[in-house]
Amino acid sequence: MNQLQMDFNLLTVEILMATLGLVVLVLGLLIPKNQSRGIAYFTTIGLVAILLYSVTMQWTKAEFLNGMYLIDPFSTLFKQIFLLTAILVSVGSYQFMEKYGHNQAEYYSLMVFATLGMMVMASAGDLITLYIGLELMTISLCVLTCFRLRDAKSSEAGIKYIILGAMSSAIMLYGLSLVYGMTRTTVIAEIAAAIALDGVSPLLLLGLVFLVAGFAFKISAVPFHIWAPDIYEGAPTPVTAFLAVASKAAGFAAMMRVLLIALPDLFVHWNVMIVGLTVLTVVLANLVAIPQTNIKRLLAFSGVGQAGYLLLGIVAFTQLGVGAVLFHTLFYVFANVAAFMVVIAFYNETGSDEIRDYTGLAVRSPLLAAVLLFSMLSMAGIPPLAGFVSKFYLFTAVIDQGYVWLALISVLMSMVSVYYYLIVAKVMYIGKPADDAKPIKVSSGLQIALILCLVMIFAFGIYPAPFTDLAMNVANTFFTP
Amino acid sequence: MITLEHYLILAAVLFCIGLWGALAKRSAIMVLMSIELMLNAVNINLVAFSRFLTPDALVGQVFAIFVIVVAAAEVAVGLAIVINIYRERQTSFVDEFDWLKW
Amino acid sequence: MIENAWLIPVLPAVAFVVIVFLIRQFKMLSALTAIAAMAVSFIISVGIVWEIIQGGATMKKPVEYFVNWLDLPGLNIQAGILIDPLAAAMLFVVTFVALLVMIYSVGYMHGDPGFSVFFSYLSLFSASMLGLVVANNYFQMFFFWELVGLCSYLLIGYYFHKPSAVQANKKAFITNRWGDFGFMLGIFFLFLVFGTFNFGELAKAIPKYDNVAFLTLAGILVFIGPIAKSAQFPLHVWLPDAMEGPTPVSALIHAATMVAAGVYLVARGFVLFHSVETVALVVAWVGGLSALIAATIALVQDDCKRIMAFSTMSQLGYMLMALGVGSLTAGMFHLTTHAFFKALMFLAAGSVIHATHKQNIFEMGGLRKSMPITTWTTVIGALALAGIFPLAGFWSKDEILVAAYTEGAYALFGLASLVAFMTAFYMFRMVFVVFWGDEPEGQHAHESPLTMTIPLIILAFFSIFSGFIGSPLVETGFFSYVYYKYPHPPEPNYMIMISSTVLALAGIGLAWLIYGKKSISAEALKQRFQPIHTLLYNKFYIDELYLWLFDKVMLNISTAFNWNDRHIVDGIFDGIGDLTRAAGARLRFIHTGSLQNYALVIFAAVVIIMLWMAVPALGGI
Repeated sequence: MNQLQMDFNLLTVEILMATLGLVVLVLGLLIPKNQSRGIAYFTTIGLVAILLYSVTMQWTKAEFLNGMYLIDPFSTLFKQIFLLTAILVSVGSYQFMEKYGHNQAEYYSLMVFATLGMMVMASAGDLITLYIGLELMTISLCVLTCFRLRDAKSSEAGIKYIILGAMSSAIMLYGLSLVYGMTRTTVIAEIAAAIALDGVSPLLLLGLVFLVAGFAFKISAVPFHIWAPDIYEGAPTPVTAFLAVASKAAGFAAMMRVLLIALPDLFVHWNVMIVGLTVLTVVLANLVAIPQTNIKRLLAFSGVGQAGYLLLGIVAFTQLGVGAVLFHTLFYVFANVAAFMVVIAFYNETGSDEIRDYTGLAVRSPLLAAVLLFSMLSMAGIPPLAGFVSKFYLFTAVIDQGYVWLALISVLMSMVSVYYYLIVAKVMYIGKPADDAKPIKVSSGLQIALILCLVMIFAFGIYPAPFTDLAMNVANTFFTP
Repeated sequence: MITLEHYLILAAVLFCIGLWGALAKRSAIMVLMSIELMLNAVNINLVAFSRFLTPDALVGQVFAIFVIVVAAAEVAVGLAIVINIYRERQTSFVDEFDWLKW
Repeated sequence: MIENAWLIPVLPAVAFVVIVFLIRQFKMLSALTAIAAMAVSFIISVGIVWEIIQGGATMKKPVEYFVNWLDLPGLNIQAGILIDPLAAAMLFVVTFVALLVMIYSVGYMHGDPGFSVFFSYLSLFSASMLGLVVANNYFQMFFFWELVGLCSYLLIGYYFHKPSAVQANKKAFITNRWGDFGFMLGIFFLFLVFGTFNFGELAKAIPKYDNVAFLTLAGILVFIGPIAKSAQFPLHVWLPDAMEGPTPVSALIHAATMVAAGVYLVARGFVLFHSVETVALVVAWVGGLSALIAATIALVQDDCKRIMAFSTMSQLGYMLMALGVGSLTAGMFHLTTHAFFKALMFLAAGSVIHATHKQNIFEMGGLRKSMPITTWTTVIGALALAGIFPLAGFWSKDEILVAAYTEGAYALFGLASLVAFMTAFYMFRMVFVVFWGDEPEGQHAHESPLTMTIPLIILAFFSIFSGFIGSPLVETGFFSYVYYKYPHPPEPNYMIMISSTVLALAGIGLAWLIYGKKSISAEALKQRFQPIHTLLYNKFYIDELYLWLFDKVMLNISTAFNWNDRHIVDGIFDGIGDLTRAAGARLRFIHTGSLQNYALVIFAAVVIIMLWMAVPALGGI
């Protein structure tokens, strides 16, 4: 056996994250409860610092422990996506948690650990590592989901998430065990080699089905999305934002690694499944979003729809496809977290998530209304906003591979999505606010985060080249060993 | 002679029993236990594969130990949530948790 | 300096953002911000012109830099800067005129409630135009082209409380839509065939392409853009109505920004328009006819701004004619000199309107005594416009006539000479009526403030002397830098010089006899040629024709379409919409809320996929 490759410098980001999580947890014990705002700020600053540090590793490509853990631009970009989400969500949590939370240190610490789990998923070069990362993320998120102890909805969401999550991991694990059995290894690079050598067996295909099902659950692709709306609605809104963006992105990172790198020889087999899931996801999510009356459920379904568009990039199985997924995920962080932050700010003031209560929001808070409007239009893919560019890339990627019909369905359902987004816009802009409606105050931290998101949504749309270049370069390194 | 196939069939049966329990039992505790069965089926698979196919490397066993550890954590969190929800609603039957729907 | 060219459009755009979002409440600060931004842009433009005179960039070796704005397999759109003498000349003209107009507006718009907003619009308008000028590809140009259209819409409708202003801006916007549509289709076709929007790459590719029919189609489609934007026949109807905007805006639209964009596009895409003989002919004749039509209409108008509007249309016709017959130099040279004296004329008209609050020239008179600076600058502008030696208009107009003559386009040459006569007549008709004539009762005019008169004086200076840079008197001039393929130094053609001067003088003389000395009765002439006068006064009834087309023909067709829309198309789409909604409403019930139902769905999905994968035809084993 070779010398173990253990250059711990490569793990700096992960080690820093773990340290941050533990320090926050300990700080919570030391600092009096009434001064816990400091913990929140500390978390945000820590996350920003780690994000900045991660930039120094942008183009590092190395292995840790003989391929069990991979540090490459692909995983680093995903880590930055998770960090960005965590930063924005932590800023969005300040007021919410003070009002509805109880133990802030635990909350922020769990968030950091969930992010760490995602990072491990993105970097996993081994099925065991992948599983550990996945569970670290899932369990942390479960606790976060039912973090509002006195809220029955939150607890219900928690129990649904833990049971369905555990079940789906069991299914996925079963798949992993079969893949391990058929290839005699758990290291992703070796799996590909083993399959190329031994060929395809029925048990391997069975394992593949279970594996795809498990991933489909994590990225909430129809019909495995079935848990998502309930849990999104019940969870505290910052957690929902985190779930909707980061956990989905992590699912995609791991899924791409496994399907595109470990199982490229099974392309014909998994491609059929993914195409089916894509069609179902894009169609169903956008249809079911229409009659929703709760903004969080609406965003949940819209998020499910976005997962469908992201699947297009996997269907394409090209560098362009992977690049498009990266770009879409990057933009999606800003658009979706922005939308959820508006929901948080609104809930902080009014205690309601119902769309009808958003009547006249444009008058009560022009900033919130504008951010929600533009993030939604962006998700609908209206030019010149970011969503247009990323969808353009995704559709081009599949059309290049001959899936014109798939792109057509997606475009059609994009138009349907405009419909339900505009319902919200109509309520906000045309509806007259109730007579007793007061202007909605938005804290300055949240304002900065909202404006940042808005700027990014426009920047991605108006001048996408630097971001697409980044995504394409990263995608390029993803395929070269 | 007990071969790999026997272990795999045992695991599959155990997985199905667990799945049936998870789908059919009303009590949240029972559901969590059924999920444990599913995970144990996976463990049998892993250990059997390891024993028969890669007897030199202990990858499967190591994987199984990780699964056991993670499962314990999962159940701990699950039980905590069940206790919390029982305080709220005086029930631990999963079919009564349907406030969130549509 | 050339490498800083991107700053030129960016600075006014920044000024726009700053004014709108930060300092709208502070009126003077807003105006100063806009002026400062424009002044810096102007200085950079001057620097660029200077570098080009030193040989920093030529028509053959332009300076180009760009970034990939959208980079996809099969679709690459750049965002870039292209600086050659053509762009530099245009940058100088636009920044110069915009700067003077802004300074002038400080006086003109004084006390207006929307003072800051007005300056922000002006900044955005100039920024869009400058962005258009420096564009290195058709796509970027189209983007700014649209922005220019949008800004003109905002500015023409600036007095939005006036119904006529609202009508006018709608008319401008809709008419321009036609042009934009043609332009867009044209560049789309070009992109389909050549796979690029870049000017330089297209200029290389087009001459090698031999599908004449396609090039004709693409050329004419693209040319529809300039027809609308530069107010050429038959899409000129918006220009006179656009006078509803504040006068400084009219000056900007007419001299430098909007209408010049069309001419600039033709100059920029010169290769395309001259790849096929037919397209060049269309360009030349559209220009020539517009020049004639506009000049005849201008003969009888009595609103001073409308006279000028038609004069602009007629002069733009000249420029397009020059470009059509193949002289890039003459067209662009006339565009440059015209910018100076037309801006001068408009600002002077604004000064008059500011003083009298009237626009009908027959309600004014004798302003010579109360407004000397305005009077004499207007006379200079009118002389320049009429093409009297040695003012700017003389040299540039002469070059166009020579170009038409030497290219053998004698019909166009005759037509242009006729227009020269009419131009001199209608301009001096206005000058004599407004500044000489009898003072009507109750007219208390006084000279405008310095912020308004100084720009007039500066422009008058340029109206006199700017012609020399392109005249045959100098060795190296405008023609040595702005040319197509190779420089064409103008050859003095004394026959044409003398004949055009005689024609112009005859026009002025006739105007003096009728309106100055009144030895010929205008009324009697009007009676005598009543039908012609009515026809001209009503602008050949083109507006009415369009109105009739829209009211009767289009409306009937659209009624039919409307019925079709309501009953068939709407039916289908409502059906789809209802179906979608209903489907959504049903499908949501799969979310029963029960945890175990969810688990069942997930498990069932796994089983279905397994079964599916088991079928070999679907990729299973």
